[in-house]
Amino acid sequence: MNSKDIIKLNNNLREKLSEENKEVYEDMLVYIRLNANKSEQQTEEVLYELLEHLLEAQKDGKTARDVFGKDLRKYCDELITEIPGEGKSLAFVSGAYIVIYFLAIISTFHGLGNFVLSQFFDRFSNNFTFSLGSGITVVIVDLLILSVFIFAILRWIKNSTFKEKKTKKWVEFLQLWLISTAFIGATVVIPIIMPSFGTEITIPVLTFAGVGILLFLLAFVLNKKYRITK
Amino acid sequence: MSLRSQLLKGVLEGCILSIINRQPTYGYELSVRLQEFGLSDVSEGSIYPILLRLQKEKLIEGTMQKSELGPKRKYYHLTEAGKEALIEFIEQWETIKLPVENIIKKEE
Repeated sequence: MNSKDIIKLNNNLREKLSEENKEVYEDMLVYIRLNANKSEQQTEEVLYELLEHLLEAQKDGKTARDVFGKDLRKYCDELITEIPGEGKSLAFVSGAYIVIYFLAIISTFHGLGNFVLSQFFDRFSNNFTFSLGSGITVVIVDLLILSVFIFAILRWIKNSTFKEKKTKKWVEFLQLWLISTAFIGATVVIPIIMPSFGTEITIPVLTFAGVGILLFLLAFVLNKKYRITK
Repeated sequence: MSLRSQLLKGVLEGCILSIINRQPTYGYELSVRLQEFGLSDVSEGSIYPILLRLQKEKLIEGTMQKSELGPKRKYYHLTEAGKEALIEFIEQWETIKLPVENIIKKEE
């Protein structure tokens, strides 16, 4: 059974938990799932086992803390250390998927956006000119920023689990807004401050968009084949 | 880690292998069995890190199967290596069980 199918089972079965147990279990679920470098299959299998166990224990009037101990964070850490790492090939495919998807978004929207603008305004050209050296550098730096952003968000979510007192909604919103704004800002600023170097290349903006759409297709096929997101 | 939990850790692994060896077992059932045998002090959740470790060491394997009633469950069975590990555990247990009991009795 594939991990994505187990996730679906988990989603349905979880509804049978009592209010209190559900809150604790979902904290554990988030905390354990966020370890991106662990085998997704093993992670989902053990999460499903914990859920099933908790449902059985619930029938005897037990709570999540009775079953998994008082220190839930410590218990989850114990589990996480025993979950094997994700196989190298699968980790590589998932990484490639993110990179391709990111490039697809950039080239499609940049291409289409410039095409539309060039139809209405003279100062936007039908052709897109960039320097090979700085172009590649910008993409690499942007990908690095993206990975920092992803890790920041994962860390933020992990910190939000097992809280005795829930953080106020507006504080959470402000924190996430700051992280996201910093990310978008950095992504936009990099190409502006990057000095151009390397050979200049000019391609029609529609070709640029076409490349983006091809990348989208590639990402789609990868996802279908390896079941990366569903 | 306390002496108690260290003592228990290796023994618990052996007990889990032994129970799974009798018939394919799933997590909750396993914890019920352990309690029925009197290991009621073992907190229920503590079997899952052990099950993960035994899988990593390829001593047991789990498959998701439909149960008679109730949802799908992950049933564990021993691998060949697991069966060997169980035999080894039983042998080692036999060699320390009597001496330890004798020593403790003399203390009293």
